[in-house]
Amino acid sequence: MSYTLIVAEVRRGVFEERNLDSIGISVLLGKEAVLVVPDGAYEMGEKMVDGIIRAKAAEEVFLNPLNMGNILEQVFGMRGKPDHIVFTHSSSGAESAVYAAGLFGFPVITDVSGYDRERGVFLKSYYSDKVFGEFRTSGDGPSVLTVRSGSFREFAGEKAGAAKTEAIENVPVSDARTFVEYVEEEKSDIDITKAEFLLSVGRGIGNKDEIPAYEELADSLRAVLSGSRPVIDKMWLPKARQVGTSGKTVKPKVYLAMGISGEFQHIAGMKDSDCIIAVNKDAEAPIFQYAHYGIIADIHKVRDKLKEIAKG
Amino acid sequence: MNILVFTKRVAATQEEELRILDEGKAIDLSKVPFKVNDWDNYAVEEAVRIVEKTGGAVTAISIGGAESDEVLRRAIAMGTKDGFLIEAGDVLHDPFTRGELIRSFIQKENVPFDVIFTGVQSEDDQFGAVGGIIAALMGLPYASMVIGIDSVEDGRMLVRRELEGGLQERVKIAAPCVLSIQSGINEPRYVSIMGIRKASKVERKVFKAAGYETGAPKIEVVKWTYPPKQGGATMLAGEIGDVCGQLLGILKEKGVYQ
Repeated sequence: MSYTLIVAEVRRGVFEERNLDSIGISVLLGKEAVLVVPDGAYEMGEKMVDGIIRAKAAEEVFLNPLNMGNILEQVFGMRGKPDHIVFTHSSSGAESAVYAAGLFGFPVITDVSGYDRERGVFLKSYYSDKVFGEFRTSGDGPSVLTVRSGSFREFAGEKAGAAKTEAIENVPVSDARTFVEYVEEEKSDIDITKAEFLLSVGRGIGNKDEIPAYEELADSLRAVLSGSRPVIDKMWLPKARQVGTSGKTVKPKVYLAMGISGEFQHIAGMKDSDCIIAVNKDAEAPIFQYAHYGIIADIHKVRDKLKEIAKG
Repeated sequence: MNILVFTKRVAATQEEELRILDEGKAIDLSKVPFKVNDWDNYAVEEAVRIVEKTGGAVTAISIGGAESDEVLRRAIAMGTKDGFLIEAGDVLHDPFTRGELIRSFIQKENVPFDVIFTGVQSEDDQFGAVGGIIAALMGLPYASMVIGIDSVEDGRMLVRRELEGGLQERVKIAAPCVLSIQSGINEPRYVSIMGIRKASKVERKVFKAAGYETGAPKIEVVKWTYPPKQGGATMLAGEIGDVCGQLLGILKEKGVYQ
């Protein structure tokens, strides 16, 4: 019988919320939904799927690409091959997904953010959300998908019957890649998640020498300065000030984004702010889709003018 | 240690308006400038830093049209020993096909290596899939989102992977292996025009993609579309002083500025 296999992501004992997007797309795919999870005592949306396979493996063993192949093989042995295998589009979800596609020779589409049921096509971002491709799989075997967080969770809901539970008793652990430890971010004296007003700067500021002028603007507006990934990668601002999935998720009263185009990973970290104001010279910047207010202008000119008015 | 590092020439679309042509059949990139993929720039830098310590050599490899030679010259200017271009006429949209091409190339040409680096993803298609696919096809261990390489010794590497929310995990991985390098792992060195000019004296080898076996693509693009519309912003327009006045008005209304 055909089904969708959902590979769960559990991190530090928590069933990640983005698993709901994997469950959500399984509803759209319309097949029986089977969830495979590392065995443990956590809430895992049991009522939203038709079957659960508990693999007796620690979370670090489970979502390790070197072990995932064996787990999938055992699932195929128990239930046959599914039509789709869905992973989260996260650091570890995507890593295991693409490796599994390579191992089994399955087609793979990553960062899926839409599915057109009638035409059977998956929507995937190109060029940082400036265009999207509609993809169809044409190869044999199940399709491997990683799904964008926030894209499908609205379709996840409780099912009528109770999920049937099965177990994978033994997962052989590869010694080619082993987990050593988690490493926490260094402590910082600034906590951008506590700020009511964030002034956030992105790649559009151009170079490091512009930072002090934005610090001054933040000071005169009594805002806290934060930044998007490119600014942190280039070490123009410290990691503690990064907004986005790999940094902090923030919900200030006002989020003023200057020179940030709106990569999906950035949007995910700030979209729940009360009021988002975006300034960018590119009228097509995706951030304008998520902002409440937008200004199409040279950010440095806006910065200087704001400082001038704020002083006067 | 010998490292192969993949580098790609991509369209720099950050500030470009992209137009879709022929009812979704193509994207117009004719007026868009091209550059090295950001992630690959970090990967090349990391590879060069490692061999500066351990000895050995880095080879940069690019798949693409003849123009991709420019990212190879750039890599050589950064310190790779040489550059290979696998010349492919068409854009290979399916990362699986690219993975098969790379596997077939490395095996047929008997390219020696201890480690293969790729960027986590390329800026154009953002698949983030080729590294994992080549690792699996070649039977090598894999780690992606590598944000730090703490030690390299005796066929084992200790690396840090970036997870979400500022968390990292440290993993031990056996070489030979494939690592996908995350942006921000280092501060890539500056490359001058002089440096690139000097690098162009180093011979780059060209191979034809057609000479290497790949299967049929497993996925296909049916159509290109513009992004689905979200809410959309209320645009503030007018003279700059006027616009900034409106912005400050909103800040006051929201109670974050007096």
